[in-house]
Amino acid sequence: MAVFAVVVFVAAYVLIVTERIHRVAAALGGAGIMLAAGVVGAEDAFFSEETGVDWNVVFLLLGMMIIVGVLRETGVFEYLAITAAKRAKGKPFRVMVTFVVLTAVASALLDNVTTVLLVAPVTLLVCLRLGVPPVPFLIAEVLASNIGGAATLIGDPPNIIIASRGDLSFNDFLFNMGPIVVLLLIVYLGLCRILFRRAFSYDEARVAQVMSLNEKDAIEDRVLLAKAGAVLLLVTVGFVLHSALDTEVSVIALLGAGLLVSIAGLSPKEYLGEVEWPTLVFFAGLFIMVGALIKVGIIGSLAELVTDVTGGNILLAAMLLLVVSGVLSGIVDNIPYVATMAPLVADLAEDAGNPGNVLWWALALGADLGGNATIVGASANVVVLGIAERNGYHISFLEFFKYGGIVALLTIALCVPYLWLRYFVLA
Amino acid sequence: MRARDLAVPFPAVSLDEDALTAARLMADRKLPGIVVCHGDGSPHTILPGSQVLRFVIPRYVQDDEALARVIDEQAADDMFAELAGKRVRDLLPKEEYELPVVKGEDTVMEVAALMARAHSPLVAVVEEGRLLGCVTVADLLERYLPGA
Repeated sequence: MAVFAVVVFVAAYVLIVTERIHRVAAALGGAGIMLAAGVVGAEDAFFSEETGVDWNVVFLLLGMMIIVGVLRETGVFEYLAITAAKRAKGKPFRVMVTFVVLTAVASALLDNVTTVLLVAPVTLLVCLRLGVPPVPFLIAEVLASNIGGAATLIGDPPNIIIASRGDLSFNDFLFNMGPIVVLLLIVYLGLCRILFRRAFSYDEARVAQVMSLNEKDAIEDRVLLAKAGAVLLLVTVGFVLHSALDTEVSVIALLGAGLLVSIAGLSPKEYLGEVEWPTLVFFAGLFIMVGALIKVGIIGSLAELVTDVTGGNILLAAMLLLVVSGVLSGIVDNIPYVATMAPLVADLAEDAGNPGNVLWWALALGADLGGNATIVGASANVVVLGIAERNGYHISFLEFFKYGGIVALLTIALCVPYLWLRYFVLA
Repeated sequence: MRARDLAVPFPAVSLDEDALTAARLMADRKLPGIVVCHGDGSPHTILPGSQVLRFVIPRYVQDDEALARVIDEQAADDMFAELAGKRVRDLLPKEEYELPVVKGEDTVMEVAALMARAHSPLVAVVEEGRLLGCVTVADLLERYLPGA
């Protein structure tokens, strides 16, 4: 049965990576085969905390997607981005800095895909009015979204999975991932100056075209903005306090979503329009497939093997996890990667120890930052590629890698001394 | 009643006609669209006014309602100036689509069904490979709602 489970899992994984069929079909098909063959039963797949669908992850994502769906209707993001561009007086590097910071901060509060969906159209508008090439700006933003998203539990889907499997709170993420992400962001801004230097020459006469944009017109319904902003604030406070309140983050997100749709006065079509149902179904399928590997003992055996290879040396294990996760997340989407690795890391932490949860932070940093290396490394990258394509700008795999590879390498390299100093030397 | 009975003469342009001229023709004569013909005069397709807008308005503005609100008149004029130097064939959608063309002997209901299916405000009527004329959505509604 173990061999069968591995074959089904690997086959589904290959289909996901190669995109021979849609990833939802591959994950759902793999999950269906595991269930039909009796590798896991309905009880294991739908009701077990250890091997079943992680409903906390699914419903946290659902709740946040609904909140973002309402927030998007308000036009606040367009308002903020155009205000930022005007404050930067249309100077391209300053515009890039403000957009990068805005994207990184928004990615920490919302998911990365949503953030880039919001920032990309306004970026195209500002760049084309300035007469500068939009592609470097789009790439800079998506890289920033993957860095910024690493800071919080809700910022990047891999973090949501890690938090659930590792029983980590919102504040755990904030205090452990936040400081390094701020540092990485500062370094990244400096790097943008060098990497994208050719994108900063512009015609000063065109600045007036940016300054003439009426950002206040972006916000059509101020009452809706006030409601959505208040609920987002409440939800964020709820996330910070969820451990003290002894409540799951998924419950807080759903409460926020429920409250917002009750007071927003929008139709279900409007507030459910932003929900990415394929992503939620993909997660469910993945969890069932990984649950099957856990049930047949493969994950436990792999964790023992890693413990043996590292000789129980946690520093070595953490560094390996960071680097291997970084490399693999550049090759495959970091969501299936983390869904597979999280139970393995949980077993490893139990077998060999996990001071300060360092193994979880190594996995999160490697997966989140490694996703920057290539276009297929993170869902947000693929989304930006699609937006650029629809607007007549092609971003090739190599062009993205030229920037993303350097940023991934440098940011992961900076995490090595951070993990070593914080969790081993200064612990 | 057949399609040929409803067809009225309609202006046509060639695939290589200047896009700006074609758009101006639509504007001046308040046409919902225009017939696009091959060099030999046989109809190729219909270019609806909405397709001209789809070409002119950048996709990122079409996708983001809030952005459409912040764009000023000058920028809108600049967008329409993009038509200069383009040909009619540049405005046509790249993907395959059903041609809104019917034969003269087709029934009025066939014309109506095609119009609804193709989201086209007008349908070209062809006989022996030549353009006979067009049926507009207004002609069709008048046929079904006499005196309305």
